[in-house]
Amino acid sequence: MRFDTVIIGGGLAGLTAGISLQEAGQKVAIVSAGQNAMHFFSGNFEEIGTARERVSALFASAGVRTHSSDGWMLMPMGSMREVSLTLDDVAVFPDKHVAEKALIVNYTGFHDFYGTFLAEALEKNGTTCRIRFVRIPEMEHLRLSPSEMRSVNIARVMDEHWEKVVSDIRVLLKDEDLILLPQVFGLKDLSVLDKIRTAFPARVAFIGTMPPSVPGIRTQMLLKRRFEVLGGTFLMGDEVTSAAMHEGIVSSVTTRNLDTARLFADHFILATGGYFSKGLVSTPTLVNEPLFGLDIDYPEDRNAWYDPDFFADQPYLNFGVKTDESLRAVKDGVPLQNLYAIGSILGNTRKADYGSAAGLAIRTAFAVADTIKGGNV
Amino acid sequence: MKRNEYDVIIVGGGITGAGTARDCAMRGLRVLLIERHDIATGATGRNHGLLHSGARYAVTDQESASECIRENMILRQIASHCVDETDGFFITLPEDDLNYQAKFVESCLAAGINAEIVDPKEALRMEPSMNPDLIGAVKVPDGSVDPFRLCAANMLDAKLHGAQVLLYTEVTGFIKEGDRIQGIRTYNHQTHKSGEYYAPITVNAAGIWGQHIAELAGVKIGMFPAKGALLIFAHRVNGIVINRCRKPANADILVPGDTVCVIGTTSTKIPFEECDNVKVTPDEVNLLIEEGAKLAPALASTRILRAYAGVRPLVSADNDPSGRNISRGIVCLDHETRDGLKGFITITGGKLMTYRLMAEMATDLVCRKLAVDKACATAETPLPGSGGKSFREVAEKIWENPTTVQKAAVGRLGMAAERMQSSDSVSQSLVCECEEVSVGEINSAIERLDVNGLTDLRRRTRVGMGTCQGELCGCRAAGLLAKAHGCADRAREDLKDFMTERWKGMYPIGWGDALREAEYTQWVYKHVLGV
Amino acid sequence: MKLQEFTASAHNFEECMKCTICTAYCPVVPVNPRYPGPKQAGPDGERLRLKDPYFFNQALKYCLNCKRCEVVCPSGVKVADIIQSARIRYDHTPPRLRDRVLANTDFMGRLARPFAPIVNGVTSLGVTKTVLDVTFAIDRHRTFPKYSGRSFEGWLKRRAKEQAKFPKQVAYFHGCYANYNYPQLGKDFVKVMNALGIGVQLLEKEKCCGVALIANGMSQKAARNAGQNVQALQKAVDAGLTVLTTSSTCTMTLRDEYPELLKVDNASVRDSVILATRYIYQLIESGAAQLRFKENYRARIAYHMPCHLEKLGWGIFSYELLKMIPGVEFTLLDSNCCGISGTYGFKKENYEASQAIGKPLFDQIRSVNPDFVACDCETCKWQLEMSTGYTVKNPISILAEALED
Repeated sequence: MRFDTVIIGGGLAGLTAGISLQEAGQKVAIVSAGQNAMHFFSGNFEEIGTARERVSALFASAGVRTHSSDGWMLMPMGSMREVSLTLDDVAVFPDKHVAEKALIVNYTGFHDFYGTFLAEALEKNGTTCRIRFVRIPEMEHLRLSPSEMRSVNIARVMDEHWEKVVSDIRVLLKDEDLILLPQVFGLKDLSVLDKIRTAFPARVAFIGTMPPSVPGIRTQMLLKRRFEVLGGTFLMGDEVTSAAMHEGIVSSVTTRNLDTARLFADHFILATGGYFSKGLVSTPTLVNEPLFGLDIDYPEDRNAWYDPDFFADQPYLNFGVKTDESLRAVKDGVPLQNLYAIGSILGNTRKADYGSAAGLAIRTAFAVADTIKGGNV
Repeated sequence: MKRNEYDVIIVGGGITGAGTARDCAMRGLRVLLIERHDIATGATGRNHGLLHSGARYAVTDQESASECIRENMILRQIASHCVDETDGFFITLPEDDLNYQAKFVESCLAAGINAEIVDPKEALRMEPSMNPDLIGAVKVPDGSVDPFRLCAANMLDAKLHGAQVLLYTEVTGFIKEGDRIQGIRTYNHQTHKSGEYYAPITVNAAGIWGQHIAELAGVKIGMFPAKGALLIFAHRVNGIVINRCRKPANADILVPGDTVCVIGTTSTKIPFEECDNVKVTPDEVNLLIEEGAKLAPALASTRILRAYAGVRPLVSADNDPSGRNISRGIVCLDHETRDGLKGFITITGGKLMTYRLMAEMATDLVCRKLAVDKACATAETPLPGSGGKSFREVAEKIWENPTTVQKAAVGRLGMAAERMQSSDSVSQSLVCECEEVSVGEINSAIERLDVNGLTDLRRRTRVGMGTCQGELCGCRAAGLLAKAHGCADRAREDLKDFMTERWKGMYPIGWGDALREAEYTQWVYKHVLGV
Repeated sequence: MKLQEFTASAHNFEECMKCTICTAYCPVVPVNPRYPGPKQAGPDGERLRLKDPYFFNQALKYCLNCKRCEVVCPSGVKVADIIQSARIRYDHTPPRLRDRVLANTDFMGRLARPFAPIVNGVTSLGVTKTVLDVTFAIDRHRTFPKYSGRSFEGWLKRRAKEQAKFPKQVAYFHGCYANYNYPQLGKDFVKVMNALGIGVQLLEKEKCCGVALIANGMSQKAARNAGQNVQALQKAVDAGLTVLTTSSTCTMTLRDEYPELLKVDNASVRDSVILATRYIYQLIESGAAQLRFKENYRARIAYHMPCHLEKLGWGIFSYELLKMIPGVEFTLLDSNCCGISGTYGFKKENYEASQAIGKPLFDQIRSVNPDFVACDCETCKWQLEMSTGYTVKNPISILAEALED
């Protein structure tokens, strides 16, 4: 099978590059070994920098609304984080004093949303908080399974029965000017969020939960759909097992499912992520990039991979594949001519140019898409 | 009697202290137990969890061996919910001397240990994970025992018999009158308050830290701090304990315990100052994997959950640099006869296995001194939760059709699981998905078992001990603690400590799936939750 | 021996990172709360079962074995295989009569075929449906698949000589459905292959692939079938033949369930068992053959990718072939399970869950309003036809009807 570009990895970086190239008229295939870190997306485009407007436009074309303004995001454990671009789900506050009075509403028995932490943190910044719980009969069946009172399962019920929760909250609401709810709304689209936001005199803010992230899943789904509508081929649940390389040029890759039907392309983009998604693989003695054997710098002494403080910057998160200025991946000291690396497989090797986290994924995706498009023109 | 006066004060909340507190309380004494951290934080919680048959000591130390097998049989009766009657094999590998086997079996039988030679093929059929190259196998009545549960059950029973327990309370000095210890001075690390407690007898059951306690009392005991490192694998590779049939050496025991299995140990002398912060080195990790894979080859490719180390409270006898040859025997010191210091007893040495016997010896001495004439009943009286032949039997005694959550709770709590459960479906929902720990079990532990923080909770419920090492359950449990203690700030700080404590055991084995889990956990805590 | 040098644990379930992604894509969780969910039933439960088999939970039978958890798992955990293997290992309750009947698709087919008109008439009667519902717990909403009076095997045997004349040959694993219920699919397949210049042979002896036996707790019988099939496939492969299929589920079973669940070694034949659409696509793409279609063929087709084809990763071949037909207006339906999952949806206790699972797909089909639906799976076809009223055609049949005469 022949494509202009084959992207390995279907997360935020892979989809952003895929949509950009497909929009430019390329024929693109994405090979995705399962779902990805979008399912744990907080909604904050950290370190997005100058790509803010461009990514907003690209996401808008997919039906994903973003919120572009500098302010503070209220995190699930009560801390505030400075943001410049977020998913529309995320409430952004101009300062740390988010409201005079807040009503925090959780669903009884949902353990992945932490009202007590939020309340105590908000009170320190002068917001009086009340925590209340609601339950509706339509959701009670979830309890029959001790593990499945999860954000996504609640969201499925909420998308149909949100009005019942709204009327319960109407009864609870007194003079609060802010209502905090867990992000368990709008698995398929944003319409339910809009309806809830306009249902009360108070402002409504949706706060993150433990994974899976409902806004993240929705975003992933909409981006993938956009990519496919543009004519892209998305191979879900498949993985690249080997690559054919000759004189610094990758000619094709083989996947586990398609085996003999190899994927040929002019350009290849490696967006397989960090350790979690096996873009980087570690053993007791080494860290390697398993598909192409790309160059990675890391200390030989394993003790130097870690900081004993869990919350410190962990050295192993800095390791990543080496690239040249145009993000061409380096193997045995030489950049491959048509293989690019984007997203968290870079670790923090290009932090100075492209940041980290979501910002890294998007900014490197745009950079490589531009390089490829430029080459084609 | 004043509020702070007791018959006996016990220093140390490990298994020896808990057992002694229970024995003393059952004999009608007014007991105070003081522990600087939480229960089972020293050697009690940092070993294999092997229910020794005594076979390991049979050749070198008959006395220890026969103590072990007697206590082994007693624990099966009084602590059935803490014990898994797995049996054990002592296997001979091609590089070992098969002649040792005959001597081994003979010594076992002499000590009263039912050792039975099994044909290697038959042994391999019974325990398929064993090295298929084995040339000899002896079956012995080894088993596994959960030290946290055992310690908590002793502590709970002591309290049910009237004992008072003060955790996070450190002994800062002794109140002396002439040559007699009258009581202790303390400092509570949580309330930041000092205290004074009085009793005619103080029992030093502080394990390796007993040396320091003795110094405070003005007497000297020479402890030999021998670090032992162990690895936890992510699932039960073996169903039967596997030992090497040779002179005891490094990494020659693989114990299946609860949902995991543990390989250990190493033995290195460490400076006394390091006892509070022992670390596992890469060399130790490598050695444990290498030797472990000889017992069960699957260990070479099984995910490792964490590494940890404990310090054996051995009492120095000679200049042996490894500590291997020091007697593991029980040392009960009457400092009145030894050093002329009245009202002070040290109980040390020994093993997890013989804690009850140690407690009995210490309590006998206390009773003699207090002129209390009451016999020890701990060998016949079941601990809270004990009862029933198998956990299946217990589960089905309590519920007609036990759910997975209920089965798991019975596996941890035995008969006591009945109290933990409630018909409310919110209580049944899971906090820890790896180990199936429910909201109800957590809340009961918080109510009944002196839980101050997440790490305490882990010791009592296995929260955070599963594959994800707290990633999923840490914040859920923190949420429940915040509610129970009415303080979110404390719970959030506690959560940070908990995750750092989990990481401490993970980074020594930080590669492959463990590193994947670590990266994911980093992402969730830092970027999603904003801890 | 290398120690801990592997990139992943040798124990697949240990690669689970507890990321919970599988729980978001399991079609059963939202509709059947008695099911513990893929994470708990799979990798989490496995650790407990290894501690003590007493932890085996009968509720694992609610797993559809749709493999969606495996497709989305970022860690490569074979969640559904873990669940199905646990059922095989620990569930020793004998299957009930109803399940035996549903599972023995080939035996029932052989029995019913000579009396097809009577059987079809009887099973479609309202009174029979009620009897089946009440006494047999086969849901009354279901229509039993019709049996054909003449088997496909018989039809092809009568044409063996003319098929042998083609210079290139393939073998065909037709499956129970094409043989007993809908021989037209087999005939369509032969038509397409012949148009490509290829003759079709039967395997020397074909048994039911066994998927329904596995699902209904008859894994020993399934393993016997598997052993016989591997032998038959081996003979074909030894004769230099590729073995083509038209059922996505049979294909997945022959290739993947045999070694993973039934522990039947198929390594020497696995790569030679290929879904026909994939074979044809690759043949055309390589330029080795081509198909000529009617100029006036017009159809608005909505393609539903069956779960097991999604797991195989081969849906792309089916829909790219359909897109090659001039005059086709093509819609790729969202990735969803139709809810039938073989015999699962036929059981009275699963009927409601089955329909609830399929609802998003039914709704989308109605809103797309195609001329017909394309799908490579026969049980999806029953479910979609019953639940939406739209006709469902195998891509091979669509190719056959679009071929230039």
